[in-house]
Amino acid sequence: MNFQDELVKICSDYADLKFQFHYRYWETDFLRFYQSQINYNISKSSISLSTTLYKGKKSYSFTIYNPDLHKLQEKIEEARLIVDQLPEDPDFIDLEDDEQRSSEREKSNNIIKVNLEHKLEILNQIAKALEPYDFRIFGTFICNFKTLYIINSNGINKREISSPIFLEVKAVSQKNEVTVLEAYGGENFNTFNLDRFTKNITAKVKAAQSEVIDVEPGEYDVVLAPRCIGEFWNYLESSLTARSLDSRQSFFEGKLNQKVFPDQITLIDDPEHPDLINFDYNGDGHLYQKTFLIENGVFKNFLVDNYYGRKLKMEKNGAEGAALVMSTGNKTWEELVGSVKRGLYISSLHYMNFINRKETSITGLTRDGTFLIEDGRLTKVVNNLRFTEKIADIINGIAEIENQAYTVPYSSNYGEFGISSVKMPHVLVQGFQISSSTRTV
Amino acid sequence: MKDIIKRIINKLDLPDVTFADVRFTRTDQQMIYFEKGILRSFDSELDASALGIRVLIDGCWGFAGTKILTDNEIDKTIKKAIYNARSGASFRREPAAYRRQEPVTKSYVFQPEEDPFAMDNKYKIDYHQKIASQLVGNDKIVYSYVYTEFYRQYKIYANTEGSFVDSLVYDTMPMMYVLAAEGNEALCRTWPGHMNGYRGGFEIVHREKLPENTETIIKEAIDLLSAPRIEEERADIIIGGGHLALQLHESVGHATEADRIFGKEISYAGKTFIKPVMLGNFRYGSDLVNIYSDSTDQGGLGFHLVDDEGTPGQKVDIVKNGILVGQQTSQENAPLLGLSPSSNMMASFADDIPLIRMTNFCLAPGNGSLNDLIRNTEHGYYIDFTKTWSIDDNRFNFQFTTEIGWKIENGEISGIVREPTYYGITPEFWGACDAICGEENWKFHGTFHCGKGEPGQAMHLSHGVAPARFKNVVVNVKA
Repeated sequence: MNFQDELVKICSDYADLKFQFHYRYWETDFLRFYQSQINYNISKSSISLSTTLYKGKKSYSFTIYNPDLHKLQEKIEEARLIVDQLPEDPDFIDLEDDEQRSSEREKSNNIIKVNLEHKLEILNQIAKALEPYDFRIFGTFICNFKTLYIINSNGINKREISSPIFLEVKAVSQKNEVTVLEAYGGENFNTFNLDRFTKNITAKVKAAQSEVIDVEPGEYDVVLAPRCIGEFWNYLESSLTARSLDSRQSFFEGKLNQKVFPDQITLIDDPEHPDLINFDYNGDGHLYQKTFLIENGVFKNFLVDNYYGRKLKMEKNGAEGAALVMSTGNKTWEELVGSVKRGLYISSLHYMNFINRKETSITGLTRDGTFLIEDGRLTKVVNNLRFTEKIADIINGIAEIENQAYTVPYSSNYGEFGISSVKMPHVLVQGFQISSSTRTV
Repeated sequence: MKDIIKRIINKLDLPDVTFADVRFTRTDQQMIYFEKGILRSFDSELDASALGIRVLIDGCWGFAGTKILTDNEIDKTIKKAIYNARSGASFRREPAAYRRQEPVTKSYVFQPEEDPFAMDNKYKIDYHQKIASQLVGNDKIVYSYVYTEFYRQYKIYANTEGSFVDSLVYDTMPMMYVLAAEGNEALCRTWPGHMNGYRGGFEIVHREKLPENTETIIKEAIDLLSAPRIEEERADIIIGGGHLALQLHESVGHATEADRIFGKEISYAGKTFIKPVMLGNFRYGSDLVNIYSDSTDQGGLGFHLVDDEGTPGQKVDIVKNGILVGQQTSQENAPLLGLSPSSNMMASFADDIPLIRMTNFCLAPGNGSLNDLIRNTEHGYYIDFTKTWSIDDNRFNFQFTTEIGWKIENGEISGIVREPTYYGITPEFWGACDAICGEENWKFHGTFHCGKGEPGQAMHLSHGVAPARFKNVVVNVKA
């Protein structure tokens, strides 16, 4: 009997207890480079079992590594004694019971397919292309492989395999440290086009050759790169969870089915989107499916998990906000930039943090290429800038949206980390508040 | 385990291996978390063992780590570390510098007064339940939590030069939070704030006096709903120790990590405005500002006998009388700056690669008490309890918001203000420091969650600080 079958058996062996298991094999091959050379390559692996044991409304959780049946049974016996001493959680009703399954596709291990030699060849080619401009490359090239079994006493027995690839290259000028960024994320490396990647980053490097200037704080029309609007949505996602509603920190409290943003704003959580890193289930084992969050400016759905769905009497939807897709508009990139008399093009954001989560006020900085737009053209590099804004105001300030969207990957990096992606267009935002300059690039 | 590590070291004694080290950690973590008066999770991760092997071949580091500690997997990990170094050497412009060190063989055991892993679970739960119950019941408090994280780590460090060091430490981090709301307004208070990690066991939970402070944070959170914001453009501010620890951390601590100077963190954490030529002459702050890194102080979370590449713990000046004089360095980066390694290479777990990290990074005390400083301030604000933090890629432009501020008029507290938000440029801000309180107000404030590196690592570290005053700071940034 394999270990996951043992876990299923344990669920039925203890009549007075219920279990939720996450049994996971995880591996990463993580290359980090700087100054167009390797910093280090790291290989890491782990096998872990996270268990929550329930006795009525009491629960206790534990994690063990390299689990075997004997070790698990010992831990369960310890946990039985502990759980009896604990107070009840009156809000706990039951574990997940969603029977829907995904296709649970087999996926090959990209750590093997995209090995270290292959990665170094790719980086060498990119580094060489940028040498004539006196730019060097810095960044990460990651391949992960994970197999996760989610098993519980309500009959959930599901498997999710993922093997995402993440390549993020920052080209940094040796002359003045001006930086530009290009990234790739996906699970099928056949979709990676090295020539296109190199061409894109080279074009950005060329744009970054211009004079570096400072600008005054104040309100600007800005064109946000897909990465930036994606990051604002990712931050706002903390207001989209049922948990945030329960903790009274959601901007969307009391706004279900109400108009919250302009008509042209539609945001979907789409874990099956062909251009994104896909997911099958949420952490409870609920099928994770396409969910409209904002539709034509109307707030449609929270991200509802099992615990808070039952507690708040909301329909569980399994959505996790890990695959956000923003609908496109009808302007080309040239038209977006071309419509700006004097404004900014912002490539990337850095160190954002909420000042007040409920009112969506944040501060953060621009990074990796901020440009001045004058008379519809990118004319100069601008020092990194600080903004202090409300995300809701930024979205309400979107005047135009590009007619195509781009895949932007994000790596969470910590622990047995995952990689996700969003699909976003460029947007033109009016009245974006720059609060100070960093005086540096 | 010691024998296994010795065997691994022997296997790494290969002709092309310039240097290798092996680390083993066994970590226990436990967390008690009550939300809105109810136990939401009691979670343990015990005996989490990890192994990490780092080798230097042809001037290139290779690393492999695993939590799967079978003989077969350990052999695989050795081979992967060597493969990573050998293959990586083909994409290396300059070889990583390396200097031999004297071997160290020592042991250290920290004994907590109250071992949280040996205590009765019921006592721990009941203790937190009582606090959680005190945080609910007021109509305006719409959300609250209280938690404590307990941590114990046994570590072995060994290298091919003969060092063999093992240590056992305990760290504890308690916290409580309330959110008051009225209409669309929602404002919070915490205790003891976000720099709440300390070396010790359950005695830390007792020492931080959570039950005694529940009423205060509830009242302050509710009062903040009707409190004004700061109106002035600029003002003098006195920053309390908990928040000053983070100010020091972000604008001096990270800025003086030498790996940032050489671009090794550009891809994620960022760079630093500091250049090698600034060492010994750059004015970082006023004459009063003396900052040092001290991994020999057993009171902080950053104490160690050796760092994670075998350099013995030490105290190093970073800023002396306002002038930048030192950096936090490693074996590889120190020679590039003409410095000796400062014992700052640390990893969170054995299967993480060591990076330059703060250990006990401190602002030396000045003179006088906090009460004296407030009395000597004609007009200004005393601010504490971090709410928001943000700093740029070069550690030059920062902006912080605290949960609460106290207005000072003619040397006396005259009321509170909500979400004071100040911004500054690092050397200008430290240059505006005109008073630092004395030993009586100096203490360690620590965290378990300093993020850095790729793959990311959350480090335990401490900052020793006393409250300090900064003149004419921009204080009314608003969204």
